[in-house]
Amino acid sequence: MAATSELDRVSMLVLRYMRAPVFILILVYAIGITGMSLIPGYDADGNVHYMNLFHSFYFFTYTATTTGYGEIPYEFTDEQRLWAILCVYMGVVAWLYAIGSIFRLVQNPHFLLALNEHRFTGRVRRIHRPFYILCGFGDTGSLLARGLSDHWLRSVIIDVDPERIKALQLRDYRVSMPGLCADPSAPKYLQDAGVQMPNCKAVVILTVDEEINLQIAVMARLLNPDIHILCRSTSESHTEHLRSLGQVTIINPFEIFAQLLSMAITAPRLHNLNSCLVHNPNVELGKPMLLPTGNWIICGYGRMGQWLYRHFVLNGIKPVIIDPLAQEVEGAAQVIASHANRATLEQAGIASAAGVVAGTDNDHDNLSIVMHVKAMNPDIFTIVRQNRHENQIAFDAASADLVLQSSLTTARRVLKHLISPQVQQFLDYLREQGEDICEHTVHRLRQLIGDQQPHLWHCVIRDEEASAVTEYLRNGNQLSLGELRRDPHRLDGCLAAMAFTIRRDGKCLMLPADNESIRLGDDILFCGTQSGENMLLASMNNVYTLDYLVSGRDKARGYLFRWLEQRGEKGMT
Amino acid sequence: MNLERVVFGFVIILALAFTLAFVVGDIHNASHHNVWMLTIAILINLIATGLKLGDRSQVGALLLASSLVADVLLITARIIWVTAENETAIGPSRESMANIISLSSGALVAGIITVVILVGDTLISRR
Repeated sequence: MAATSELDRVSMLVLRYMRAPVFILILVYAIGITGMSLIPGYDADGNVHYMNLFHSFYFFTYTATTTGYGEIPYEFTDEQRLWAILCVYMGVVAWLYAIGSIFRLVQNPHFLLALNEHRFTGRVRRIHRPFYILCGFGDTGSLLARGLSDHWLRSVIIDVDPERIKALQLRDYRVSMPGLCADPSAPKYLQDAGVQMPNCKAVVILTVDEEINLQIAVMARLLNPDIHILCRSTSESHTEHLRSLGQVTIINPFEIFAQLLSMAITAPRLHNLNSCLVHNPNVELGKPMLLPTGNWIICGYGRMGQWLYRHFVLNGIKPVIIDPLAQEVEGAAQVIASHANRATLEQAGIASAAGVVAGTDNDHDNLSIVMHVKAMNPDIFTIVRQNRHENQIAFDAASADLVLQSSLTTARRVLKHLISPQVQQFLDYLREQGEDICEHTVHRLRQLIGDQQPHLWHCVIRDEEASAVTEYLRNGNQLSLGELRRDPHRLDGCLAAMAFTIRRDGKCLMLPADNESIRLGDDILFCGTQSGENMLLASMNNVYTLDYLVSGRDKARGYLFRWLEQRGEKGMT
Repeated sequence: MNLERVVFGFVIILALAFTLAFVVGDIHNASHHNVWMLTIAILINLIATGLKLGDRSQVGALLLASSLVADVLLITARIIWVTAENETAIGPSRESMANIISLSSGALVAGIITVVILVGDTLISRR
């Protein structure tokens, strides 16, 4: 519906704009052609000859456009030439007017807007695979789009800033990502972006303004009651409101930081695995970073500082707080209401502290805190908050032990959700199970993928994704996970693909064993390498390969040999 | 070792060999080309096509397609030979002979493609 109304709008605009020029062109052509046909001329023998309408039209067509092929079919008389002069001037002026109108229309910003919207709607309607709507293409949005593209996931992007949409068009994504410059909180544009299409899987809302985020979430929920919404929100009241919408995943980067920090303290191996799964380049799988548990100093007690503080206290650490606006804080070892500088750091006991968090909302302050701290206590563990992505180089140079970057954390969390909600469930499961299970999992994963980066993907046992497997299962055969994971090049080996979870009948089976049998409709989350994914996909979609994996011998392919094989089997029995 | 692969490989390569044996020689000269060779090439190609029926893999579909191309071209060549058999004392005229050999060369290309696919598939599976 939206597509046709948009099309109507564009064609209506063109027609309305071209009404006067087209009318004048028709009039000029009519006058010129009629006159040319009515003025008598002479043929080669001197007989009177009237040009027929077709010849007049032909003559007018090439004179009006100033092409000019000469006088046809016979040389003109002076009367005819006079009329021809008139024709040329009239025609040229009429054409200039018409072409000028077209140019004016094309340069009209409203027309361009309508045209862009029309094009965007068309591109969205042609997406037949699952896709996500991304509202807000700032630091977080562009990081997320890059991650989605790396996993061959499509998204449709809306942002208010025209510069960002222009930047989007220059990105080299693996999949097409249509972008529209518009206000995403307007329901019309959400509809254009395909929020009501059945293959739209989720709306991701990442603009900087929390109020607008809430509005977009409400609009999306109204337009599509079933759609999953992922929304960035850091304030209590908005979070409350968002939760009431139902099916909303709230992404609070500060809370995620704090959870990650908590994880780094209590479950360093899991923290290491998690960092590798989200492709953190500074982390090596199986080499966890150990956070010291002595005295900590938190510089900056804003939203992030408060979250971190809460989780420090949960883990039995009582940090010192340095913040000019800090009031009395319950459970804190000491509160220093001042800016973090040499004197206050000294006062906080930097010399004997185990770690420091530079967590203000100003990147320069954070960097200078890190520099001071490193000078005063070179062995201290430093955690620094990076607010802006463009300061990356400075933060790399500061070489803090842990950098917390809001946009990156948000993008990674959303990406994990979009790849599969099972990823987070699996990590939560490992957290509950404790470090031994986690270490065992990491060990198995390392055996499969070596030093390569782990790659996550999920696949559902259905005809579109695993045609050979569904056929095999429908024929009443049993297939186990271990058989599926066999390497077709050498049957005793196995592919670089490890099953993390199987989702079946709404329940999640964690770390399934190799003898677990596969059933129709299973949603399996794998971790391995890209080539592992390709090989596994090939096995799952080729009946002969699958048969070979299970039976260990090549089945006859042609009718003749299959018949011979069956006869042979009968002869045996 | 897989019996089906052995038999199929044998038939495919034999078909290619016979097609080549027929095509080799002066394109206009009927005495350089033996009609029996052509007939046997057709027969072996048809057998190869029959062996590949029922294979549902991508490679199988491609092999079937290319051997169908060879069948069509060789049978057309044989029909031209039948119609042109009595044009001269030794068989088809120079023009008809050129047509027959051109068509058979097409079949030769299809045969080469079949063999290349077969060898490629065998090398990739590395079992």
